[in-house]
Amino acid sequence: MKKLSTFVTALCVSFVLAFAAHAEWKPSGPIKLLIGFDAGGETDTLGRVVAKAMEDQTGWKIIVENKPGGGGIAMFTGLAVAKPDGQTLGMGVNMPILVNLVLRGKDLPFDLDSFDYLATIARAQLAIIAKSDAPFDDMAGLIEYSKGDDGALIAFDAKPQELLMNFVGGASGANFKLVPTKSSAEMIQDILGGHVAASFAAGAHIPYLESGDVKMIASANDGRHSYAPDTPTVKEQGFDIFVDPYFFIAAPAGLSDDTKAALSAALNEAINSDEVKAVIMNTLKTEPSDLGPQGTTDMMTGGVSNVAKLFGK
Amino acid sequence: MPDMDVLLAGLSDAFSLVNLLFVIAGVIVGQFVGAVPGIGPVMAMAIAIPFTFFMPTLPAIAFLVGVNKGGLFGGAIPAILMNTPGTPDAAATALDGHPLAKQGKPVKATKMALYSSITGDTFSDIVLITISAPLAVLALKMGPVEIFALMIFAFSVIAGLVGDSMVKGVIAAVFGLLCATVGIDPEHGTPRLYFGFFELFDGLPLAAVAIGMLAVSEILRRLASAGSTPRSAITSLDGDDPTVSRVSWAEYWSCRYVMARGAVIGTVLGAIPGIGSTAAAFMSYASAKQASDEPESFGKGNIKGIAAAESANSAVMGANLIPLLVIGIPGSIAAALLISAFKIHGIQPGPLLFEQQGRLIYGLFGAMILANATNLIVGQFSLRLWTRVISAPESVIFSSALLLCIVGVYMSTGGLFGVAVMLVFAVVGYVMNVFGFPVVVFIIAFFLGGSFETYLTQTMVILDGDLTRMIDYPIAVALVVLALISVWWLGFRKKG
Repeated sequence: MKKLSTFVTALCVSFVLAFAAHAEWKPSGPIKLLIGFDAGGETDTLGRVVAKAMEDQTGWKIIVENKPGGGGIAMFTGLAVAKPDGQTLGMGVNMPILVNLVLRGKDLPFDLDSFDYLATIARAQLAIIAKSDAPFDDMAGLIEYSKGDDGALIAFDAKPQELLMNFVGGASGANFKLVPTKSSAEMIQDILGGHVAASFAAGAHIPYLESGDVKMIASANDGRHSYAPDTPTVKEQGFDIFVDPYFFIAAPAGLSDDTKAALSAALNEAINSDEVKAVIMNTLKTEPSDLGPQGTTDMMTGGVSNVAKLFGK
Repeated sequence: MPDMDVLLAGLSDAFSLVNLLFVIAGVIVGQFVGAVPGIGPVMAMAIAIPFTFFMPTLPAIAFLVGVNKGGLFGGAIPAILMNTPGTPDAAATALDGHPLAKQGKPVKATKMALYSSITGDTFSDIVLITISAPLAVLALKMGPVEIFALMIFAFSVIAGLVGDSMVKGVIAAVFGLLCATVGIDPEHGTPRLYFGFFELFDGLPLAAVAIGMLAVSEILRRLASAGSTPRSAITSLDGDDPTVSRVSWAEYWSCRYVMARGAVIGTVLGAIPGIGSTAAAFMSYASAKQASDEPESFGKGNIKGIAAAESANSAVMGANLIPLLVIGIPGSIAAALLISAFKIHGIQPGPLLFEQQGRLIYGLFGAMILANATNLIVGQFSLRLWTRVISAPESVIFSSALLLCIVGVYMSTGGLFGVAVMLVFAVVGYVMNVFGFPVVVFIIAFFLGGSFETYLTQTMVILDGDLTRMIDYPIAVALVVLALISVWWLGFRKKG
């Protein structure tokens, strides 16, 4: 009985979507959603849950495939040459794409215009943290501390974070020594074990904020974090720089307007569904934020100039 | 002391029928995917995780734990029966497991693997359940400098496996390290040796290289040497004769020191995030060989070799959960996957986990014990099943194994690129074998090279580029001294 009612609901929803909000377009076969990262990671989990919500809401068949490599570069390389019929979509994170576009744009087989941007799913909240007994509480204090004998060791796990600290160091004369790590878990370990003075963190630190083991020095985003509204951003603390990692979904350039409208509306609905909201809240400690097709395009174009600034170009 | 009510509630959750069924399902899936060359428990877990969001929390985690534990033993099956390990830690099992199977005792070899795997696993689970908190604090004290020193120590022990020719061993190790440098370098973000393939930015895909080198090259070798008359992939002399196929209590008991050492090595390396089961399996194997009165019998079907490798690589898993549960840090890919499963259920492993989710954690502990018991029982059936399967003509067995390797690598690396890498390394492995270069040494260097470089880079930043400053890190100094002693002792034993 329950199955039947779900089926009927799904049918109704797809009718409503097909005839009302979504103009005429509907896929003529299954939609492939390519994930630019390995199975089991955050991007993969988000992508699969969005795909499932979209399937339930629209009745379309969506197949999720992992195409890891180069932080999404391998997947977007393939996506750029796929047929723009709305049945091949790709999901990635903006930062590695923007960094590679800025650093080696000429070598890449695609550029910003190779894609039609459909939606963002959420913005990761990136914080700078320190152990709670560290002798500083904000960026100014950290900079002061770094001017001591041994400098300040700062752990990071992605290029833009390193560049942000270099930017701050260049502007303030701080003596930051940047320690490359492979994951946020490793950074937390280094903080808790007292092996570094400060580090970046994208959510893994929140339980330690609650337990009082770590403190937050700044938000590295272009805005404060929902769970720590009293901690100012790096920008508010006097350095005109930020890192805004977004999870986004794109299609090969050249979608028809109908297709684009139908897909972005379906994505928007899926992203704001309860299941997706719960997974985003649980993994990223934030709300879903879909910027829509225009907003996502602006985010990517603006991102290139921001990342160029990080590189001092 | 934990609250008795919470503990009992957690355990009764674990021993509920639904949970039991999920554990059994997980173990069966795990043993199956572990035993099929090319697919592994890690991939099965990764695929299952998004679906566990739609399941209740404890059965979801219990299922994943079951898959993992089943896979730990399952991985030993193809390594022993066909000499085609799908993962590097099972390669250590193959060193003695396959020779024993070739002597006509495949059931005995797999049984020994099963018993020692469960012994090591249970030991590390008990450590996890009883003294995880102090151990996790100890693990936190291990910073990049200490872990770097620990890796040097591990290498110095494993060096005992280099084989007869030092020159060939060193060449294989250097080649492995070279392959580990492919991809974006950890310090400056410069892509190295990527030859225009963006797929290589993250380095050579580990699964593709391991399966190509270890499994596919062996399949190629067997297919190349196959004659026109069909013969079975392995001849089982034992049949149903229990005197050949069983592992007697005396034999099990004679491995007690080897297994205890393996379990301790696995537990220690598992509790410290960043090193993993490959190093543990080979370290345990190498030290068992060196401590033995008859080191020349290793590699020829000594059950102690199987016991050493399996007890260590299985002990890593339970101990991996120590940093995971207590401080929220995964020690391996499988542990990282468990964290994502926790996270999508809204549970953040970390300092408050035991207070906030005590019942769930005791439920998880109960499920782990349950999974060990299930593994033992299901294993008894599945090892017989697989030894039967393997007695089919070898042309059938090895061509289907090849197909499975291709499918597995296609799935886990996301496309044909990984398959191409696998085939290239299969040929490389074949050629290395023909010319007597030790493939195992290559694999160890390749798998540990990446993290070794990361820790070296971190150490150099922390020490300001001056290694003599390591003197300020007593644990690191002690480990380096141990490494020197071990190298000296190795040389001494060889001469003596």
